[in-house]
Amino acid sequence: MEDIEQTEKTFETKELTISMGPQHPATHGVLRLLLTLAGENVVKCTPYVGYLHRGIEKLGENRTYLAALPLTDRLDYISSMNNNVGYVNAVEKLFGIEAPERAKFIRTIVAEMGRISSHIIWLGTHVLDIGATTPFLYAFREREVIMDLFEMLCGARLTVSYPRIGGVRNDISQEFLDELYDFVLDFPSKMDDYETLVTENRIWKDRTVGIGVISAEEAINWGLTGGTLRGSGVDYDVRKYAPYDAYDKVEFDVPVGTNGDCYDRYLVRMEEMRQANRIIRQCIEKLPAGPVMADAPKFTLPPKDMVLKDMEHLIHQFILITKGPTVPEGEVYMGTEVPKGELGFYFVSDGSGRPYRMRVRAPSYVHASVLPRLCEGGMIADVIANIGTIDIVLGECDR
Amino acid sequence: MRAGKFIQTIFFTEIIKGMALTLRTLFTPPVTRRYPKVKRPVKPGFRGLHALAKNEEGKMKCVGCGLCGAYCPSQCIYIYTSEGEDHKKIVDRYEIEVLRCVYCGFCVEACPFGAITLSEHYEYSDYSREPLYMTKDKLLANWDRYFAGEKGLRYFRDFWRPKAENFSAYEGQAMFDKVKARRKEQK
Ligand code: SF4
Ligand code: SF4
Repeated sequence: MEDIEQTEKTFETKELTISMGPQHPATHGVLRLLLTLAGENVVKCTPYVGYLHRGIEKLGENRTYLAALPLTDRLDYISSMNNNVGYVNAVEKLFGIEAPERAKFIRTIVAEMGRISSHIIWLGTHVLDIGATTPFLYAFREREVIMDLFEMLCGARLTVSYPRIGGVRNDISQEFLDELYDFVLDFPSKMDDYETLVTENRIWKDRTVGIGVISAEEAINWGLTGGTLRGSGVDYDVRKYAPYDAYDKVEFDVPVGTNGDCYDRYLVRMEEMRQANRIIRQCIEKLPAGPVMADAPKFTLPPKDMVLKDMEHLIHQFILITKGPTVPEGEVYMGTEVPKGELGFYFVSDGSGRPYRMRVRAPSYVHASVLPRLCEGGMIADVIANIGTIDIVLGECDR
Repeated sequence: MRAGKFIQTIFFTEIIKGMALTLRTLFTPPVTRRYPKVKRPVKPGFRGLHALAKNEEGKMKCVGCGLCGAYCPSQCIYIYTSEGEDHKKIVDRYEIEVLRCVYCGFCVEACPFGAITLSEHYEYSDYSREPLYMTKDKLLANWDRYFAGEKGLRYFRDFWRPKAENFSAYEGQAMFDKVKARRKEQK
């Protein structure tokens, strides 16, 4: 008895600092969190980013506008299609050209496919981190269909580089549309499957309801966008309020949450997938005929069969590739809605074929900064839930 | 509502529903493949390992203009040329550092002569860098291996882009008969 009392006296409790990541499987890449713990409570949380820094902005300034496109694939590598669409939209705004109607619809279709595939990964990994294995396997089954469709479309599964400045790389085939339509008709039932497994599950609810709560005002002040912001009840979606591509020609709802906790953000993203499905379906049904590349020979590569027949085309080909397009001077910012939030491209042009400054506003970077706010004061097990719910990809965060 | 909630809490209905779903899925065909043994067919137009095209006479088509190297976003194409007799350009070395390539297909788009292609071959890995440093001879051999016969012609017909005919409208492509029929079924 005396022994125990003695031990308790000498055994003082103190805070413990641990490093979570960069190789922790639940940090979705190479995020490192420095956690100060008092028992199981998180006292302090500091995110360290930069492990995946490749200098994409700087690399973009050393390529012509046309050749910098594949770099954007590697920002958020699980929804590369959306990054491409964001990039080409920003550059088109700078050039002052516009893609033809059909290309806009195709871009909307592929961007929404990218959104579904990204949200599916988010669902699978977020749920897996919290302890449910089955939805992860089901989710990847559906993702595979989208990846196959991308491969059929442009020859690559993940790093697609499909949209082009002034349109898209190639027209879509009948076969592709048929298979996509099959998928679109099937997908709501697949969504029901996920919801059966997860939405009402009591363990899932225990782990997410009331965790990582952030109010609407605070969410705006932190600069959150996308599903993370809408979970707090703010009705903000770039697709709706500054429509690009064909988003003003289709109907869709912007789901918003009420409580701003992990569970609401989960519900918002689930509904977003259904809405994305709805957009794809409308786009296929409304798809207009016509060209898929803008008629802007100063900015887009000339058609191949003309290059060796026509001197003018050949000259355009050489100049566009070696020197880049002749760009008006100025600055331009264009935000697009990617699965993670608002992805913005900001260009400063000095009139040459390469951007003077290319800045990427990456939603993941902003979202990573809110982690301390969500984690501090909570339990260490909820850190995992919080990382999952803000949906970050470190490729985009570090750039 | 209350009673429903009560029943759910006591009888674990949501868990049972989930279990029923997984049990049902147990009897559906597997979606995975045993990869090295069973290979998935690659879709046409896949962007894989490079090959340098030959013309009908079996000569290399490339003239060494250097456009592919200038356009390549990862700058992994090296071309060395020299001047031959009667001032003809000769491509001495044409090398691609495949380990740095990102398979964007921009070199195919840049080439005005249709001299470089991306084949459907994707299984290349090795223990050292040398076998993956593609020289001119290796790239030409790739053409014989992956684009033998008609395949090369078909590649340029279908996948060498952008194309002029892609710029015009397809007849009736806006709304497809098959899709229409399926929509009726749905309703
Ligand atoms: S595929 Fe792209 S990265 Fe690879 S060699 Fe061609 S242009 Fe360069
Ligand atoms: S492959 Fe084509 S673009 Fe490249 S150097 Fe040869 S001819 Fe020119």
